Amino acid sequence: MGKGFKSITYWNRKIHIYTGLFLLWFIWLFSVSGLLLNHGKWKFAGFWDQRKLSVKVFTVNIPAGLDSASLINVIMEQTKISGEVSAVKLSNDSIDFRVSIPGHERNLHIDLKKGSCTSKEIEFNWWGKIRTLHTFNGINKTRLDEGPNWIFTRIWQYSMDAIATGLIILCVSSWITWFKSKKSFLPGIIVLITGLQLQFTLYS
Amino acid sequence: MTPFRTVIRNLHILTGLFISPFILIYSFGVLTFNNEGLLNRLSPVKRLPEIKTKLDTIPYGETDLAVAKAVCKKLDIIGEVDFISRWKGHLSFPVNKPGLRTIININTINDSVSVSREQLGSLRAMSYLHQMPGPHNENIRGNSTFLKFWRVMSNAVGYFLLFLATSGVLIWLLLKSERKMGVFVLILGSVTLTCLILLILNS
Repeated sequence: MGKGFKSITYWNRKIHIYTGLFLLWFIWLFSVSGLLLNHGKWKFAGFWDQRKLSVKVFTVNIPAGLDSASLINVIMEQTKISGEVSAVKLSNDSIDFRVSIPGHERNLHIDLKKGSCTSKEIEFNWWGKIRTLHTFNGINKTRLDEGPNWIFTRIWQYSMDAIATGLIILCVSSWITWFKSKKSFLPGIIVLITGLQLQFTLYS
Repeated sequence: MTPFRTVIRNLHILTGLFISPFILIYSFGVLTFNNEGLLNRLSPVKRLPEIKTKLDTIPYGETDLAVAKAVCKKLDIIGEVDFISRWKGHLSFPVNKPGLRTIININTINDSVSVSREQLGSLRAMSYLHQMPGPHNENIRGNSTFLKFWRVMSNAVGYFLLFLATSGVLIWLLLKSERKMGVFVLILGSVTLTCLILLILNS
């Protein structure tokens, strides 16, 4: 019984320390980017006014008989553009879509008759990239079942899930550590109840 | 244990305990936001019956937000007005509180109002709280009492999390027993994040 009891404390401590150390930079990134998203008026972190706008024109070969998804892939290969595709609009003569990576957005207009691709690009500074990293998960609210269409978006999305799971593990392991600690027990319970009460008040 | 280490350790424990309920909200909010399609299949949004009514007076001369808040008060609806859409003869806005979304449509010609509500559940409520206040609609964000407080708490959680991460590293640095493995894990985490960011930004 005693040995088993010690083992929980032993492993819990290691889990907390190593999970925290592994996630350290991830926690700093998402904390800072979260604060940036909540404080759009912070002048030192300005990104919108500092954005770089450019227009590029490509000549593309439009193969016949392709559906829109395949056509988009072919055009992206020809123009050597990669990223998360969204906002696809199709007409008889043209196809418009957006290709995004954190901090860099390309709005492409393909003229199917002329075989030309016009790319209007917005590139943000590092503050803009950091902000976008916080929210870049490829989720389309109108097509929730589809998920991201770019492999790196999916990898980043899985990373976000892993970080969230890691934080849950950190919370639970912190409670176990506190519960086992005699010195911190009383102040800890006051603080925990205060946090819970505040959370429930806001939640309801 | 040195006094410095004792103070840092105690602050780390107490800060962590205080914000742990909020960390759980944010974490479950992320899991919900990233997997909403799956959640919709497992626990669909529950739509409540639509309510149609007519209001006696609506102060159209004021700002859109003031009109929305006045209508909410008349209908006894509490929550954060998310955004306001106005087009010819119509005014429409959603009112959100964690777990409940109310959409109000006003016919500005005959003052008739339709109210539709959706029960979103606890997980979607956490996803909503995670996204608030956020960067969108800054000019009207924080128009409800709960979001005014949540704005303060969400910023506090961000700062406290930075403190927790930093104090955690300091505490670990003072621990000789976990140093070797700790350095390895720290480097592994740093390399993982760097590789991920480089892959995404330079592809």
